[in-house]
Amino acid sequence: MKIVVCVKQVCQVCGRSGLAPETRFLTPQDLVYRVNPYDEAAVSVAARIKGASDKTEVHLLTLGPLTAERELRRCAAMVEANDLFQIVSDADLDPRSKSDLLAQAIRNIGPDLVLCGKESIDTRHGQVGAFLAHSLGLPFVASIKELDISAEGKARVERSAGRGLREILESTLPAVFSVDMGAQALLLPSLEQKKRADRLVVRTLAFEEGAKPRTKRVGLHPPRPRPKKIAAPDSRLPAFERIAQLLSAGRVEKKGVVLNGTVESQVDGLLAFLKEHSLFNARNVPGGE
Amino acid sequence: MFTVFDPLLITAALLVMIAGTAVRWRSWQRGRKEERSGDWKGLCGYLLSHRKIMRKDRSGIAHLLLFWGVLLPLAVIFLAQFSFVLPAKLAGALSLFLNLLGAAAIVGILFFLVRRMGKDGSPPEGVLPPAVLLLFILLSGFEAQGVRLNIVPAPLWTAPVGALFSALSPASPLFLQLLIRMHLLAVLLLVATLPFTFLRHVTAGALNVYYKSKGPRGALRPLAMEEGCLGAKTVEDLSWKQLLDAEACVSCGRCEENCPAFLSGKPLSPRKVIRTILNQMATPRGSHPLLGEAVTTEELWSCTTCMACVAHCPLYIDPLDKVVDMRRYEVLGKGAAPVEARPMLRNLELFGDVNGKSASHRTDWALNQEVPLLSGQPVEVLLWVGCSGAFHPAYRETTRAMVRILKKGQVSFAILGKEEKCCGDPARRLGEEALFLDLARENIRLFNRFSFKKIVTLCPHCFNVLKNEYPALSDNLLPGNFEVLHASQFVLELIEQQKITLKYPVRSTAAIHDPCYLGRANGVYEPLRKIAGAVPGLVLHEFQRTGESGFCCGGGGGRMWLHESGTHINTLRAKEIAQSGVGLVSTACPYCLTMLEDGLGGLELEKRPKVRDLIDIVADSLG
Repeated sequence: MKIVVCVKQVCQVCGRSGLAPETRFLTPQDLVYRVNPYDEAAVSVAARIKGASDKTEVHLLTLGPLTAERELRRCAAMVEANDLFQIVSDADLDPRSKSDLLAQAIRNIGPDLVLCGKESIDTRHGQVGAFLAHSLGLPFVASIKELDISAEGKARVERSAGRGLREILESTLPAVFSVDMGAQALLLPSLEQKKRADRLVVRTLAFEEGAKPRTKRVGLHPPRPRPKKIAAPDSRLPAFERIAQLLSAGRVEKKGVVLNGTVESQVDGLLAFLKEHSLFNARNVPGGE
Repeated sequence: MFTVFDPLLITAALLVMIAGTAVRWRSWQRGRKEERSGDWKGLCGYLLSHRKIMRKDRSGIAHLLLFWGVLLPLAVIFLAQFSFVLPAKLAGALSLFLNLLGAAAIVGILFFLVRRMGKDGSPPEGVLPPAVLLLFILLSGFEAQGVRLNIVPAPLWTAPVGALFSALSPASPLFLQLLIRMHLLAVLLLVATLPFTFLRHVTAGALNVYYKSKGPRGALRPLAMEEGCLGAKTVEDLSWKQLLDAEACVSCGRCEENCPAFLSGKPLSPRKVIRTILNQMATPRGSHPLLGEAVTTEELWSCTTCMACVAHCPLYIDPLDKVVDMRRYEVLGKGAAPVEARPMLRNLELFGDVNGKSASHRTDWALNQEVPLLSGQPVEVLLWVGCSGAFHPAYRETTRAMVRILKKGQVSFAILGKEEKCCGDPARRLGEEALFLDLARENIRLFNRFSFKKIVTLCPHCFNVLKNEYPALSDNLLPGNFEVLHASQFVLELIEQQKITLKYPVRSTAAIHDPCYLGRANGVYEPLRKIAGAVPGLVLHEFQRTGESGFCCGGGGGRMWLHESGTHINTLRAKEIAQSGVGLVSTACPYCLTMLEDGLGGLELEKRPKVRDLIDIVADSLG
């Protein structure tokens, strides 16, 4: 049995550091280049099928420049992949044109089963699997969690149909399934598997660009800074500065001090604060100095 | 008295012993190579003082009696073979001395027999025959002396024990002859079987003490990955010293008695791990069964790496490094880390922290705190925050408290900020050596970019790894011109130099819970107590299990991320805390803090003792 798993390299944005608004609040440490975790789940499903039968071949297929080669090889190690294909393309593609390119490569490999993640964590279109099945003219089931291949060569898949319903479908092969996360235990490859995957040569494929993109991204708005527990902006600053403080994800320069510690130390702290800001004069207090 | 056969018999016994020793020697010499240097001074000190054995009073005294009660008479008997004449008084005194030593040895051996039998009626395999034989040798010796006294009387004071035996013995020269023959045969039997019974610890144990590790106890042994070693699959993957450890084991059970996993009913027993290795060493070369078949994964993952077994072994045997080597094979060789721990390991791979929050959020705790970031400027102290200090909601308060202390003490300090990565301890303790090396190398690269004199860590696990394990990496590139201190050590310095004063009283009865990686691993016990003593109002008690015998919280060795079946270790400790009646438990480790808090919470006490980090207490009291 031949399986192709489509794996996408994504850039996971972990947060805004708030250091520099002009770089949209991101620093290099905020970006983690990795393989889409849904695709990793698809690789885990393939690894389980491969573990059950020695004759299974698994080929990984990725599209675009190798931005996360280490993670890609880690996926290859997880499933002991036979091949690692890369479709060379720098174009800004929509899901339809991506799946066109993937379909051309998959036709050349001729697999019995095509797996991919149900969506990617960077664009979250969730369309590639369906378009791929359409281009290849194969049956498609979305968001599967479990997959078994029966002796008659049919696939039984389990998917969550929402509200706790678990749907079990049977499909002829070849077929395309998109995989959901959650059902597979994380696979950690052994060192030997990793070494073998490191030796794997990435086989590049180049195709004529397929269908022209019919949809185009015309805008992308970064999310507003999420509210955080912050001290109030310094009211002495002009409004522009205060907004800049808020936008820098709460890095407010105002020195708010929370007094904790023993009761005595808190009282002393309060007195010191009041005296420092000339809000308290011991001579005004009956019995004071 | 000697017959012509005796030299033959003695030669035969010696030959069997030598052949047996050679077989045993080969069985542990087949381990992997390891550089070790011996320590004569240490061995002599160990034998004379019996310090490590005496840690358990009664067994220690019994061993001391047996040791000298066998060794000195042996020496005298050996010397007696050279004909010389002693003045009668001196000979009498010597006889009295030997008599008393023999009696002491009988007391010792009887104690051990009763102790070994008394546990559950079945002493460990192979312990009984040599012990009984030794007892027989001693008793037959005294009986022979008793009979001889009946035939040739001697002053009572020269042989009081022999005289006791003489009261019940006949004055028969024939019986005397018989006794002497039996005594000799028993001695020869003991000598011949020495390498095959637990009594081989006479040589193997001494060798093990001679070659004992001189490095810090907390440092794990590096894995020779470049030589293709992925941990311990069979006993041949262990080093010769690790096999010598097993060879020296006398199955005394002190490791078990102190193992938190064993005491809480987990399947792990450090003694069993060592005995399994010993049994497998006996199989022919090349046909070793897999260690994983004899030691189950449940056993391996039950270990909290608290080092209680290492600290309490009287023969410096280290069951922990075998457990870690077997874990390494599970993870690196088979890719079979426990399912619960995998997300944490994956988080370390991807994000460099155990929580998967990523570098972006590593300095969130420092918002509004004006914490200086390490830059080109040299500073005195690099404050190593660690994953818990940066992300754990409760422990972040401790980090802030530390910053307050440092500011108050006017210390020039800075943090690494977002570039700091996990120190690698959880990965290494779970056997993921490759990941540990990646993290360690990244951190070392970072250290090389900056200039500082001290690294101060909040977490004892980070402290242990930075202090003991980074310098031992094979491609160590550490700048080497700084020292690593735990926060408690540094705060004590500040207090002693009067850079900070503790003014406000913290009124409570408190006890110190010693973190394993601070205490047993690095011997840092006193700073915690000195700091607690410096806090006004704090009345310090000690737990029953404290210091070197301190009980683990159950969170080390990656156990923080693993499920625990049966009685939880932290619950056991929490019960001890509740019984002690203290109002405040002071510790110095984020794992201990979390585990004890959870354990005490689970007891549903009316008045629950507070668990706090010592740094928080100091910050509260800060004037």
